[in-house]
Amino acid sequence: MSGAIVQINNVSKQYKGAQQPAVSHLTLEISKGSVFGLLGPNGAGKSTLVMLLCGLLKPDEGSIQVLDLKVGESSAAIREKIGVAPQEIALFPTLTAHENLFYFGRMYGLQTEVLKKRIDEYVNTFGLQDKMHKRVQTFSGGMKRRLNLIAALLHDPSLIILDEPTAGVDVQSRNMILEFLLTLKAKGVTILYSSHFLEEAERICTHLAIVDEGKLLVTGKPDILLAENPDCKNLEELFLKRTGKTMRD
Amino acid sequence: MKIWATIWKEFLLLVRDPGGMALIFAMPLALVIVMALIQDAPFRDYQEIKLEVLLVDQDKDSLSYKMKRALESTGNITVVKENDLERAKKLVQAGEFKASVVLHKGTTQALKKKTEQLIGKIVRNMGVETPFIDSIETSPVPLDLYFDPAIKVNYKQALGEGIEKIVAQVQSEWIIMELQSQLSSGENKHPKVKFNPGEMMVVNQQYASDKPKERLALNSVQHNVPAWTMFAMFFILFPLASNFIKEREEGSMLRLRLISGSQFPVIAGKFSFYFFVCMLQFVLMIAVGIFVMPLLGLNELVLGSNVFGILLTACSVAMAATGYGLLIAVFFKTPQQALSFGSISVVILSALGGVWVPVYVMPEILQTISKFSPLQWGLESFTDLFLRNATTLTILPNTFKLIGFSFVTLIASFLVHKSRIIS
Repeated sequence: MSGAIVQINNVSKQYKGAQQPAVSHLTLEISKGSVFGLLGPNGAGKSTLVMLLCGLLKPDEGSIQVLDLKVGESSAAIREKIGVAPQEIALFPTLTAHENLFYFGRMYGLQTEVLKKRIDEYVNTFGLQDKMHKRVQTFSGGMKRRLNLIAALLHDPSLIILDEPTAGVDVQSRNMILEFLLTLKAKGVTILYSSHFLEEAERICTHLAIVDEGKLLVTGKPDILLAENPDCKNLEELFLKRTGKTMRD
Repeated sequence: MKIWATIWKEFLLLVRDPGGMALIFAMPLALVIVMALIQDAPFRDYQEIKLEVLLVDQDKDSLSYKMKRALESTGNITVVKENDLERAKKLVQAGEFKASVVLHKGTTQALKKKTEQLIGKIVRNMGVETPFIDSIETSPVPLDLYFDPAIKVNYKQALGEGIEKIVAQVQSEWIIMELQSQLSSGENKHPKVKFNPGEMMVVNQQYASDKPKERLALNSVQHNVPAWTMFAMFFILFPLASNFIKEREEGSMLRLRLISGSQFPVIAGKFSFYFFVCMLQFVLMIAVGIFVMPLLGLNELVLGSNVFGILLTACSVAMAATGYGLLIAVFFKTPQQALSFGSISVVILSALGGVWVPVYVMPEILQTISKFSPLQWGLESFTDLFLRNATTLTILPNTFKLIGFSFVTLIASFLVHKSRIIS
């Protein structure tokens, strides 16, 4: 794959006390301008991989390059250029939506005028303009998810990493988030999209990888992967074929 | 800019947390008032002794009159007369009176007789003829003192010494009078000079202070206001640690970890904000000491004259308290761990630091250990400033210790926090 924005080379990570690695000898590339779906069941290692990419976890072995910078050596520089919407709602519940966005924007080092402009732009896009002065603790799950996503976009990142961005949201909010991601896709923004919602991945991803038990099972373009597996009518069937039907905790 | 943003964010979080606000402001104010009221009596007890003493006067002569007048003139002793010795003993034993002074029948006459005999012998040895007999009765005249078995040792000592002093004064007065009387007997008539032992020498008792007329002794307010103010300042760890851990658990700290270069502003912003909160606590508590305590019948807090020294000490205590709170916040992973360890450690540090009881009443070993408590450094400085009008130079060693403690905890907090970013 040419023009790789993320290169993961033989990376492994095992947590202290864990019986098996969360990520095991995983190699992966994400090309510039792609929407890369990182798919896997619960506990597959998706969030660990996201944390490794951000430099918040140190790999036991292997190396990762993001935006031509080596994770570990240039983690701070990498974090300046990426926007991450973590799986948790990473916001202050007792602050209003505006106060949250303003604070995180300030921490990104944005000047007041730029910050105000971006906040206005995103809250309009995500339909939160009337809720900006309400405390986040009063928001619905969908509103919190949208705000969580806006907070990751304020500094105009080159790579957007979304960890389960539609978990626990209603259909309308999910649709709004996906519509927005499609507009970013059209603009050529690179997105790493971690999820276990396969229909979402099918809708927006240009490339995907299925991981389970920390290992890469399959990677490629969705249409090619389905073509290579004629017994699977859609991604869900491919997913179940690769990861099995055993229940996950 | 990032630090100011964090300070503003911390402000918003705190003002929207009524429990945290109560813990920081309302509870310490209530605590300092309650503790000052509770400890007012014991402090007065130590420094303003008030004793009720029974006088069993079987003598009914000049000694008993002088004894009663001398005891009452101290201002600390109330004399109550009781004729029945056995009843007096029972009342003292029951603790209704701290002591009983028993002047047996004929005490004055016996003491005068002994004085007469002693002076007679002296005068005769000087070659002056005197009609007074010169044989001396050797057994001393008894004066009995009965004490409440539960009386404090220092009270017993003070009362015993006081009675002995009164007796000594009466004796010296009588000796002089008797000497004049015997020397002017017969043909040697001389006018008598009235002798008052109090006119010979006066012992001036005062506080070694620039303003000796001011009442600057350590009282409940002077001890409790600075002591509990520092205790409250160190309890800043409660809102600080709980907010910090809450941010970690709720995920907002994760987002901050994902923002490059945010770690120093986060720590510095929190430190700065809670430093100002500590200073605000200090100002409020001092204001209570000055304006509210007198309304409750307590002494007014006297600050001394070194305002710069007070501010310097308050700032260094605030820095130490915030640094300690921050270290607890970053070190422990759950609120239960942080708040349990934090509160118990502050209680121990405050007990060792002399917040509960002054250090000078502690056993020697604890007095040595107390030198390692930041609260002791602060309290010692405040006592020096408030009661001794200490110069800034005097309090600098403690100030340096507090600031040093603050830097150590702050650096440790930053390193621990940073180490947890990457695991």
